[in-house]
Amino acid sequence: MTDSLILGLSSGSACLATCGMVMFPYLMAGSAGVKKIAIDLALFLLTRLVVYFILATVAWYFGQAFFSNPVVRNIVPGILYIVFAVMLVWYSISNNRHTACPAKIVKTVNNHKLVPILLGLVNSLGFCPALFLILTKGATQGTLTQSYFAFLAFFIGSSLWFLPLPLAGKIRKKEVLKNIGILATGLAGIIFMIKGLTNLIGGIING
Amino acid sequence: MKKAKIVAGISWAFFCLILIIILFPGLTGLSNSVSKLPFMKLNPRYTGGEIGNQIISAGCTLDIRKPVFNGFLKERSSGFVQLDWHGSLPEIIKDSIDYDHDGKNDFCILIDRNNLKTVLDPISNKVKSVAVSTQTSYGWAVRVRLIK
Amino acid sequence: MDNAIKTAVMRKSFGKSLLYTLPMFLITFMFITGGKPNFSDPASGLAMVSVFLMVNVLYFFMHFTGKTDRYRAILFIIFAMSLSYTLIHNMLEVRKSMSFSQADILECKIPFCHLVIPMMILPAAFTKSIIFPGSIIGGFANISSMVVLWLVATLVLGRGFCSWGCFYGGWDDGFSRIGRRPVIKKISELWKWMPFAVLLMVMLSAAVTMMPTYCSWICPFKAVTEFEQVTSVESAAKAGIFLSLFGGLVIVLPVMTKKRTQCSFLCPLGAISTLSNKITPFSLKIDKNSCNECFKCVGVCPLFALTKDDIKAGKVSLFCSKCGKCVDACSRNAIHYGIKGIPAGTMKNFSRNIFLFVSFLFMAIFSSGAIITTFHGLLKLIF
Repeated sequence: MTDSLILGLSSGSACLATCGMVMFPYLMAGSAGVKKIAIDLALFLLTRLVVYFILATVAWYFGQAFFSNPVVRNIVPGILYIVFAVMLVWYSISNNRHTACPAKIVKTVNNHKLVPILLGLVNSLGFCPALFLILTKGATQGTLTQSYFAFLAFFIGSSLWFLPLPLAGKIRKKEVLKNIGILATGLAGIIFMIKGLTNLIGGIING
Repeated sequence: MKKAKIVAGISWAFFCLILIIILFPGLTGLSNSVSKLPFMKLNPRYTGGEIGNQIISAGCTLDIRKPVFNGFLKERSSGFVQLDWHGSLPEIIKDSIDYDHDGKNDFCILIDRNNLKTVLDPISNKVKSVAVSTQTSYGWAVRVRLIK
Repeated sequence: MDNAIKTAVMRKSFGKSLLYTLPMFLITFMFITGGKPNFSDPASGLAMVSVFLMVNVLYFFMHFTGKTDRYRAILFIIFAMSLSYTLIHNMLEVRKSMSFSQADILECKIPFCHLVIPMMILPAAFTKSIIFPGSIIGGFANISSMVVLWLVATLVLGRGFCSWGCFYGGWDDGFSRIGRRPVIKKISELWKWMPFAVLLMVMLSAAVTMMPTYCSWICPFKAVTEFEQVTSVESAAKAGIFLSLFGGLVIVLPVMTKKRTQCSFLCPLGAISTLSNKITPFSLKIDKNSCNECFKCVGVCPLFALTKDDIKAGKVSLFCSKCGKCVDACSRNAIHYGIKGIPAGTMKNFSRNIFLFVSFLFMAIFSSGAIITTFHGLLKLIF
C-alpha cells in the first residue's frame, strides 16, 4: 500500500496542477455556499472512488488470467513498471503536459448537476502514466482485497490534493506548488522504475 | 521605526553571535536536555523492543523481547520478535521459544555459530522466517518475522 | 577604478586585520586545544598547531583581502575531505570495512548525520520515536548532539549552514571549482525546486516505511562514508545508486556546470534550510544605488539563488547560502552581507564583520576535530 499511497500523493499534485485550473471553475460554477461546494467535491471524489474500485477489479482479474505463472508475474509487471515509470517521468517534465488534462472535455456539458460526476469520471479514467502504474500493481496483487487496498491508497493519496480546491483562489505562489508537484511526480516515476527493475531482476533470477 | 528595526536587527545578530560562542561548550548540557524530550527515544523497530522474558541457563542468558508490530499510525500486520543471547554461548544454540507467553512454544531455532547457519522450525502459523541472525558484541541476535 | 573602490572599502589594513583576527585566535585556541595544548605526541601536537594556524590565517586573509569565498572554500573543502577520511579510517580500524553490518544496525551503532533530520519529523510527531539505528546520547555522532548543532546553526545561519557547516557540501563545492568555464551553461529554473520535491517524497516515504529512506536509498555521500554491506540484489542496487549519484551530482555535473548540483537538486535538508533563511538575522542585500546590473553575481552563484529579475528588484532569494561568491565577484560592492532591519547599502563592513565572525567561528570549531585527525593520520603516514 505504501508505494500506492506515495504514487497517489505525488501524481495527485501534478494532476491538480494541470487539471485543477480547469476543474475548479466547473466544480464551483453555479455554487452558492460552503454546503454546495462540499457536495460537489464529495460527488467528484465518490465518482473517482467507484471508478477506481471497478478498475481494481478489472485489473486483478486480468492479472489472474495472464500473470498466473510466478515468473511471468514478476517479469511482465517489472517491464510494465519500467515503461510506465519512464512515461511518468517524461510526463512530469515534458512541455506539453498542459494539454493532457482530460477534464477539458467537461466544457461541453451543459447540465451543471452532472459536472462533478463527469469530472470525477474523466479524472479517474484519464490515461496518465500514474494510472497505468496502479493498474499494473492491481494486476499483480495476490487477492482482490489487496488490489482494492492498493487502489484505495492511490485514491487517498491523490484525493488529499483536491480537498483544498475550494480555497485555491486564496493560495499564493501557485506556480511554486505546481513546480514541486510536477517534480514529485517525476520522483515517484523513478521509485517505480527501481521497483520495476527489482521485480524484473528477481523474476529473471528465479526464472 | 527605521532606527528601531536597525537596533532590533543588530541585537538579534549579536544574540546569534553569543549563541554560537556558547554552543560548543554547552553542547553536552544541551544534548542531555534534548535527549530527555518525549520523542527522543529509538523506535522499537530499531531497538528490537522491550525485553519480555529472560531465560538463564548454564552461564548463558536469553532475552526474548516483546514482538514489534509498530507502524506509523497504527500497528502493522507484520512484525518481528528479537532474541538476544549473551554470556558464554555454546557452539550450537538450540532453543524453543514461546514469545507470546501462552504456554505453547511458537518456534524452535537452531544456530550453528561456527558455520553461521540458522535454522528456524515454525510451530505457530504466525511465525514466518528469519529476518536477521548475526553475531553481536554481546553474543548473538536473531530477528524472526511474524504476522499478527 | 571601480575595483579599486571596492577593495578599498572591503579590505582592511594589516594591523586592523590582525585585530579582527584576535578574538577568533583566542576562541579557537580555547576550543581546539581545550586551553591546555598537549604535545606529548609530536604528530598530534603538530596537527593541532597546523589546524589552529590554518583557520586563523584564513580568517585573517578574509579581512586583509576583503574576499570571502575563496578562503571559506578552502576550509569547507578540507573539512569535507577530512570528515570522510576520519570516518573511513575509523571504520577500517574497527570493522576492517567501509560497510556496516547487521550487528551494527541491531546494536544501534550507526553514526547520525543531519541529513536524517527531515525524515525524523513526521515519525517523531506521530509515534514519538526516532527512526534511526543510532545512539540518542553518548558515543560518536549521537542523535541529540547532531540535532542541537544543526538546529542552532540553522537558527543562526539559515541556509548559510550549507556553505559554512555542512560536512558534505565541500565535495560538490570543490568539484564545482574545477575548470575555468562551465560546459553546460543553461539550466532550467524548474530544477531548483527539486529538493522540495525530494523533501516531500522522503518525508512521506520515511513516515510510511518507518525507515530513513533518503539514507537507505539515495544519499550520494554513502560513497565517501559508510554503507550497508552488499549481500543481496537490493543492497547491490542501493550501492549502485549511491555511486551513480555521487559520480553524477557531486563530481561530473558540478565540473560541467560550475554549480553545486547535489545541494541544488537533491538535498532535502537544503529545502528546509532554504525556508530557515526567513528566521536568520543575516542575509545578502543589494545596494540598488551601486548596482549597474552587470549580472556577474547571477553567473557565479552556485545555488541558483540569484536571477536577473531578482537583481533588478533588488532582492536575493531564500536559496542563498551566503557563501560570498557573488560578493567577491561584484566590482561595485553592490551585493553585500547584511543584517535584517539594516537598509541595503548601509553598514556593509559592520554586517560583514559580524557575519564572518559568527559563520567562520562555527565552521572552524565544527571542522577542527576531523581536520586534526586527518592531519595527524597524514603525518603518521609520512613520517
